[in-house]
Amino acid sequence: MRFNLLRITFLFLLLIQLSWATAKDQSDTHEFQISNGLKLIIREDHRSPTVAHMVWYRAGSMDEVNGKTGVAHVLEHMMFKGTDKVKAGEFSRLVAAVGGRENAFTSRDYTAYFQQVEKSKLDEVIKLESDRMSNLNFDDAEFLKEIQVVMEERRLRTEDNPSSLLNESLMATAYMSSPYRHPVVGWMNDLQNMTAADAREWYRSWYKPNNATIVIAGDVDAKQVLATIEKYYGAVSAQELPVRKPQIEPQQKGIKQVQVKAPADSAQLAMAWKVPRLEPGKLDDPEPYALELLTAVLDGYDNARLNRTLVKQEKVVNDVGVGYDMVSRGPELFQINATMAKGKSVTQAQASIRKAIDEIKQKGVLESELKRIKVRILSEQIYKRDSIFGQAMEIVSTEMAGFSWKDIDYMLEKMQTITPEQVQAVTKKYLVDECLTIAVLYPQARKTIGQEGKQ
Amino acid sequence: MRVPYKVILIYLLGFGLLDSAQAILPIEKLDTYKGAKAYLVQTKTLPMVDIEVSIDAGDRYDPAGKSGLADMTAGLMNYGARGEKGLLSEAQIADEIADLGANIGLSVGGERAILRIRTLSRKDLRDRAVQLASAMLSTPTYDSNILAREKQRTITSLLEAETKPDYVLERRFKKMIYGTYPLADSPSVKSVGAITVSDLQKFHQQFYRGDRMIVSIVGDVDQAQANEIVQTLLNRIPRSGPAIAPLPQLERSPIEPLAQREVQIPFDSQQAHIAMGMTAVARNNPDYFPLLVGNYVLGGGGFVSRLMSEVREKRGLAYSVFSYFAPGKDTGTFQAGLQTKSDQGSLALEVMSDTIAKFIADGPTSSELAAAKANLVNGYPLRIDNNRKLLDNVSSIVWNDLPLETMEVWAKQVDAVTLNQVSAAFQKYLAMDRMKIVVLGAQNK
Repeated sequence: MRFNLLRITFLFLLLIQLSWATAKDQSDTHEFQISNGLKLIIREDHRSPTVAHMVWYRAGSMDEVNGKTGVAHVLEHMMFKGTDKVKAGEFSRLVAAVGGRENAFTSRDYTAYFQQVEKSKLDEVIKLESDRMSNLNFDDAEFLKEIQVVMEERRLRTEDNPSSLLNESLMATAYMSSPYRHPVVGWMNDLQNMTAADAREWYRSWYKPNNATIVIAGDVDAKQVLATIEKYYGAVSAQELPVRKPQIEPQQKGIKQVQVKAPADSAQLAMAWKVPRLEPGKLDDPEPYALELLTAVLDGYDNARLNRTLVKQEKVVNDVGVGYDMVSRGPELFQINATMAKGKSVTQAQASIRKAIDEIKQKGVLESELKRIKVRILSEQIYKRDSIFGQAMEIVSTEMAGFSWKDIDYMLEKMQTITPEQVQAVTKKYLVDECLTIAVLYPQARKTIGQEGKQ
Repeated sequence: MRVPYKVILIYLLGFGLLDSAQAILPIEKLDTYKGAKAYLVQTKTLPMVDIEVSIDAGDRYDPAGKSGLADMTAGLMNYGARGEKGLLSEAQIADEIADLGANIGLSVGGERAILRIRTLSRKDLRDRAVQLASAMLSTPTYDSNILAREKQRTITSLLEAETKPDYVLERRFKKMIYGTYPLADSPSVKSVGAITVSDLQKFHQQFYRGDRMIVSIVGDVDQAQANEIVQTLLNRIPRSGPAIAPLPQLERSPIEPLAQREVQIPFDSQQAHIAMGMTAVARNNPDYFPLLVGNYVLGGGGFVSRLMSEVREKRGLAYSVFSYFAPGKDTGTFQAGLQTKSDQGSLALEVMSDTIAKFIADGPTSSELAAAKANLVNGYPLRIDNNRKLLDNVSSIVWNDLPLETMEVWAKQVDAVTLNQVSAAFQKYLAMDRMKIVVLGAQNK
């Protein structure tokens, strides 16, 4: 009993202490829009003399059309292959010369480019990014080499990776019409048939100031940065963007199942339910928040429900994880993935997962569980401020989904108000078979493993 | 992603620390307690603190036939301990850590085991997190049922890993490069299966003691508070213990005919995976900086290295290609690697070998050297711009017995590197006729 009392005391104190974390004022963050539609968000953080600089385009694989899957990601690679002034490979050399770290990534929702530099080098990378927003000019030979690199990337991350193959099949099965059904890297056959012209067309369509958001976090002065951005981007003109068709996924009318056979040792199970996401303009909808908290009740810490019962008590799975992200452009899945324990079947694991969910449907969750998770959410708000890169990522990914960075604190406050009854309600309403997709990886022995040999 | 995370990770490891013209927060030496040295960097802007205990209890101390013991000894600390007020079950530990809004994690590498705590700095919360970590570190219960469960989980993960090309490649490469040194052996179903509760208790008793520990703290605490943290953490840890047999020397990779150094592993994957490397230097070697700067040019510098240029940019042979030195406290290795479509294995290996051979023979050009230094020196502040990175730096400095002013002089040491030093160091430590080569899944032979 002593331990329980102690815990409750700590919890109480912690909640009080952390209340400031969400009630923080927002004066360190500044938002501007220049006349061509380019949005600029600056988070001043003067702890260290460094800056994270990001340019995100609101064009990801969900904006691709049939036969050209993967083109958003291919263009991401081509963005390093030269402009009128900066020849192929030179972009990275110039960033390296100022001591910068850089990379880029593509998701279903967006394509993002970033550099991290010492603060006096910020102008240099702003100049480079602004140049490639308008003046990309790669030749066909560069494209032909780089598309080989992208195919190697697909081989590495997907073809030889059974978990990725499983996830790819899960998405393609869960969604019939939504472009979320296609992998970000693209189908191999689409990559084999992609042309430099496809990539150029993508660039011309989407790489416009009115489709971009720049976020700069770190030791900067907002007014100065705004002037620099206006100087380098001011002359770029806005352009009408291609029409995005809604491509709303039709209502699922029953359970879907798919099997994948690939070289592996353990079977894997993925269960994914179609659930709502948070919609811009509807920040008070409790359901997405309740689903976020449900995720954590099941998998938010070492003794959370699924790990405790499935891994530690029943020993039916070796690992289990739950995924849901209420902030995204496209439709969302509430997904549970598990790797079987030795000698346990997928059927047994599925029964255990269903039992854990049914328990919540029938008995709900404990107030103490929710409190624990809310404390973690609050403490993470402090820890996240240790990284300017992480802060910039949070701001811009929220923006890309159609929200304002100003909504982030409101969302966190809203999360703290969710009740056990609301968590139980979304479990009952959404974790049902009508909108469930199940994907199973059946492990196969590798075909030919011969004897090791010397050269 | 244009570059896989693996490469980014290596990039960080390879670069280690940097120094700057900016004021560097000093590393303060705390009171030595129970034979454990302790260090602090005070950062006051956020109400949080990061604490690390490094324990000289890494995989290299696994007894013969018990590979995986060091990992299991640390890993099971999460799953039951005797606190000052009684037993703490694995569920209680996990719930309490969560309730405090803290994180406590354990990891084990070749050289050391590491316990890390991240907590809010307010005294009551911080104290409780440190008390929990102290119980885990000093009095784990090592319950036999939990050991059985975790052994089974480890074995299941191992069997899965053995179907993956990168794991099979790395395991074989380690075996070749470490020879008779204990890190040659990777955990196996048999060695993990052989671990008993008394093995864990004995390993813990032997290695988890003050004279084998170093504490590093970064965050919102002053010296007195930091000393208090160290004392709470280690108050039930013994100062010393039984003598431990010294480790064998890691013998330099010998000159051998190719047939003795290269292994082909048949593997039915879409890509061939290639690893090449040899023994190299420890972190405190005086040639560390010439090798660091040189490797930036060869295969460490992200998109601008020679390997990246020859293998990826010019020929489109691979998504990821890299080289790095992994310098430890006592030993170190050099390794290069790539993955390519299985029928391009020979070609890619040839390009990689030629690129490395040419670099060892001729060294960098003066413009390459200047570019490498510019990146390393200008990029210095990015290495120390938050608490977590500072902790990584402090931890590396004190573990490797480097001078406490290492962060202040780092850039100067990079800047002082000459062309001749790079060439001489590469020729002294690397040689193509000593390189171990593992090629997995190539289908052109």
